Amino acid sequence: MVIGFAIVAAWELVTAFGVVAFRKPIYNALSLVANMLGLAVIFLLLNAQFLFAAQVIVYAGAVMVLFVFIIALMNPEADISFRPAGTEWIYGVVFGVIFAALLGALLFNHGLTGRPGAFAPAVIDAAGNVQTVGTALYTTFLFPVEVTSVLLLIAAVGAVYLAMRRIR
Amino acid sequence: MDILAPLVLLAPLVGFLINALVGRSLPRRMVGWIGAGSIGLAFVFALLILGQQLGGQRLDQTYFTWWSSGDFNVPFNLYVDRLSTLMILVITGVGFLIHVYSIGYMAEDPGYSRFFAYMNLFVFSMLLLVLSGNLVWLIIGWAAVGLSSYLLIGFWFERTSAVLAARKAFVMNTIGDVGMVFAAFLIFLNLRVLDYQSLFDRVHQLPKGGTIITAICLLPPVGAVAKSAQLPLHTWLPDAMEGPTPVSALIHAATMVTAGVYLVARMHLLYDWAPAAAATVAVIGGVTAFYAATIGTAQVDIKRILAYSTMSQIGYMFLAVGIGAYTAGMFHFMTHAFFKALLFLAAGNVIHAFHDDQDIRNMGNLRAGLPITFWTFLIGTLSITGFPIVTAGFWSKDEIIRAALSASGGEFFLGILALITAGLTAFYMFRLFFIAFGWEWLSRDERHLHEAGMLQTLPIIILAAGAVIGGYIPVASFLSPVFGHATDVGTLAFWGLAALTVAAAAVGFFLAYLLYARRPELAVAWRTRLRPIHTLVEHKYYVDELYDLVIVRPALAVARFLDDVVETRVIDGAVNAVAAFVVLEAREFRLIETGRVRSYALVTLGGAVGIVLIVAWYLGYLPWKVGA
Amino acid sequence: MPVPAYAFLMLSGALFTMGAIGFMVRRNPLVVFMCVELMLNAVNLAFAAMSRFLNSLDGVVFAFLVITVAAAEVVVGIAIIVQVYRAGRQMDVDELDLMKE
Repeated sequence: MVIGFAIVAAWELVTAFGVVAFRKPIYNALSLVANMLGLAVIFLLLNAQFLFAAQVIVYAGAVMVLFVFIIALMNPEADISFRPAGTEWIYGVVFGVIFAALLGALLFNHGLTGRPGAFAPAVIDAAGNVQTVGTALYTTFLFPVEVTSVLLLIAAVGAVYLAMRRIR
Repeated sequence: MDILAPLVLLAPLVGFLINALVGRSLPRRMVGWIGAGSIGLAFVFALLILGQQLGGQRLDQTYFTWWSSGDFNVPFNLYVDRLSTLMILVITGVGFLIHVYSIGYMAEDPGYSRFFAYMNLFVFSMLLLVLSGNLVWLIIGWAAVGLSSYLLIGFWFERTSAVLAARKAFVMNTIGDVGMVFAAFLIFLNLRVLDYQSLFDRVHQLPKGGTIITAICLLPPVGAVAKSAQLPLHTWLPDAMEGPTPVSALIHAATMVTAGVYLVARMHLLYDWAPAAAATVAVIGGVTAFYAATIGTAQVDIKRILAYSTMSQIGYMFLAVGIGAYTAGMFHFMTHAFFKALLFLAAGNVIHAFHDDQDIRNMGNLRAGLPITFWTFLIGTLSITGFPIVTAGFWSKDEIIRAALSASGGEFFLGILALITAGLTAFYMFRLFFIAFGWEWLSRDERHLHEAGMLQTLPIIILAAGAVIGGYIPVASFLSPVFGHATDVGTLAFWGLAALTVAAAAVGFFLAYLLYARRPELAVAWRTRLRPIHTLVEHKYYVDELYDLVIVRPALAVARFLDDVVETRVIDGAVNAVAAFVVLEAREFRLIETGRVRSYALVTLGGAVGIVLIVAWYLGYLPWKVGA
Repeated sequence: MPVPAYAFLMLSGALFTMGAIGFMVRRNPLVVFMCVELMLNAVNLAFAAMSRFLNSLDGVVFAFLVITVAAAEVVVGIAIIVQVYRAGRQMDVDELDLMKE
């Protein structure tokens, strides 16, 4: 298990670097797809089968497909120069490094603090992951689900409106 | 619960409200008769109260608690005794006659309803002042009277001189009001009560003649001096003649200016207990009487002469109450109300006949043209100079002089002063009479003067009657229950002193007769010989100019300074600085809105880092300073 | 679970930081968007890990909702970027400062 995790973790880090570093956008997109699939595997490791399925179907399967299509359609050029205008990027890198260091320092030693709940993996497996998550979604988390569905509706309407040809 | 007293108050108040609110849409006659009628109604109620008082005791009735905070209670109570009964009878009686006169006098004036509204407001305020049973309502009435005076002096507000005069009167009155309020403070501080009855009961707790009681008694005279136009707060009264003549008659002769006298008389128990303060009042009165009389000899405006005459006569009243002769003072108040109102109203007729010219040098020889006015004015003049036996003025003035002369110490000298003033009074009044009215009978008068209508002559006839028979009204015995101790202060032979007074008056009369009726050229000669004195007196001893220099100009300079420097630079500057600061900061903050995603993201990221740091520090995960 | 909890969390942190740096550094709006997605994924990982180790379902459910919302957001964002492209403007986030002031 540990080795498996190590491999997947390495895969994640490499592909993430790929998302950030590639020049051509299509390579970025494909890196991201790979990253998401790796993440799906980690979800399996974490005994979140439902999430694994959702990640693959929705995220990797729909969202990234959209990304790839758009890139293919628009065919944007590669970033001509990697040198960004303005000086914010320096700050960004600095901050990012600080952030990383902080997170590392915090998480390495102190990690999880929280009161354990009732859903041990054995309990979940007894009922089945999807069933348990589904029940939770439609009972405890009913309101967020409804709100999210409304949000999806709004997004769909908004996208349709935005996509209409307005510039001739 | 007694209702007569509140009814007396209510009648003029209702008159005021009607005329003020709907007066303009009512027909003129109605407005006038509502105004006069309400006072007449009040007079009827006053007569009923008189009937009550003649039978029974005084009345101190609380109607409702006006204001109560902790153990500080101010009720609305009315104190009806013989003193206040006398006052309200005079106020409503003479007031009614003056109102009737005004119906005719003000008939042409566009501000007709306003006039009657203000007049009723005044009467209401004056009655409130007099009937009030505690110091708070007294002061309220006091201030309301000052307000009415201001409104009425400045009645013809298009005239700058009228407005300035009204302002001057109000400012001086306010100075007096301060004195009144401080007196109330002191009384409350020391005796913890504000209503008359308790006050009178407790006065004797304070040491007689001590500093506290003297201070308490010196402050109301500040108010009285301002309200009654005595030295040194007198300069407003001559200017107040800018108001219509009925106003001068009612407010500045018969009633408001006597409020000060009433005040001292009401507080007589306190003044008995503080002889120093009472003496001060007497001195002020005596000196003012003399001072005003001298000025009156050199004036040429008919109303101003009468104004100085009022000042002088009130001086007599102050002298009387100051030396303890309260009944004498109140008696003179009543007779003075009769003849002074008469004199003013008659003067009003003359002014109307000469189309608002008030200079006496342009008048003369009115016996044929204005007969009723002529004869009534003569009666008034005789009364004020104290023509023996048949005039009221003789009896009242004489009482005062007698009281002064029979006392010991300084009061004797005040009595001498009063005697000399009596002579001066005769002199200037007859000077006025001879110059303005003359004695000749003109068979043909180029000026085509006509006598005024009945509305303006009947009241003065009635007042003339009062000026004659008023002396026989037994005021002294009527008021003696109020003042407790013996009111007959004099011990000298009555008739001997009377003769002295009459002699002084006769001297004045003959001098006036000589100079103005027989040999006018002598008057001119004397005037040139006594030029410096004449100028001094003519200019009222330059008091106005003195006040202007010492008080008015510095005050205006301070005001100007405050406006230019403090207001503009400091206060406005501070406000503008705040605004400028806000604008400055806004300009700086605007630069944050760059529109670029990256700068926003940077800020967000920085914020996130900050939050993580804070949380970590708070939880103690950072190596330094564990815990918050 | 032989793999300790902090391992997952540190992985999540690393992914997040890389997404943040990428977001700050890149100029192409599409790539910037992709970095945002990377950050969201990292957060999902953290949620799932916490959910596993604390025996709770809250994290999983929340991660699911995040996926949904991210999908909606991507839709709208892409639409905007497409419009920007169609308008002929530069595909450069630094140039797109119409919201200035």
